[in-house]
Amino acid sequence: MTPNAPNRARYSIERSYAATIDQCWALWTTRAGIESWWGPEGFEVSVTTIDLRAGGEMVYRMTAVAPEQVAFMQRAGMPLATEARVTYTEVSPPARLAFKTLADFVPGVAAYEVATLVELQATAAGTRLVLTFDAMHDDVWTERARAGHESQLRKLDALLARRAGSASA
Amino acid sequence: MNSHMTLFSALADPARLRIIEAIKAGECAVGDIVESMDIHQSGVSRHLRILTEAGVVQMRPDGQKRLYSLRREAFDQLDAWVARHRRHWESRLDRFGAALERGKPPTRTRNPEKSR
Repeated sequence: MTPNAPNRARYSIERSYAATIDQCWALWTTRAGIESWWGPEGFEVSVTTIDLRAGGEMVYRMTAVAPEQVAFMQRAGMPLATEARVTYTEVSPPARLAFKTLADFVPGVAAYEVATLVELQATAAGTRLVLTFDAMHDDVWTERARAGHESQLRKLDALLARRAGSASA
Repeated sequence: MNSHMTLFSALADPARLRIIEAIKAGECAVGDIVESMDIHQSGVSRHLRILTEAGVVQMRPDGQKRLYSLRREAFDQLDAWVARHRRHWESRLDRFGAALERGKPPTRTRNPEKSR
């Protein structure tokens, strides 16, 4: 790829950790694991639901807790707590996890759908992690994802209308 | 930020990426772009309009011709976005490493952990 290639919003980050591949996988895919590191600096994350399969979603809530972040959100006129979600596109334990982030909120970074691929590989020293990001997925996928969300919301609306007044767990 | 949405949407199309490749070297007339691609002039014009609206390309009239070239600002904007996204993930991965350290001896089955 030449430095001027327009598709350079696809890029990778590589790290190595002195831990087993299963420990790494668990931090990416379990509620407690995700909550222990996922949140941006100064935010607390609590996972609302996690449906770990291709097409499934992880929904989480981010709450600004550090004074600096609280001040930032207030200045920006934003609520301190934001709901965000990722949609899994591939789940192959313990080596590959891919997801699209629909509304990953990062202060100072525009919310945009990014395809993320997590690749884990066991090495002699522990685990090698390669993250690949692609901000330029095809339009078709986006439209489908959006349509999917909208139809889910419509289903939810219908369900809530039917059950109006009754509480669910 | 809406300008990012517009920018990324404009770029998220194979034909438009090929147009960008075609005019990367310098100003091009629509005819030159059409020649290097297998789509009709109307298609190329539509893609050029989308790219122009997103600020990716700019047009300069030259007599009867319209010459298109890339706008540097769009790619600077893309760079800045990637840099911020990367910084966010670098610090996230630092926390990932710290979380792994904290959870180091978890493979014993003796302590029945209380789950939340």
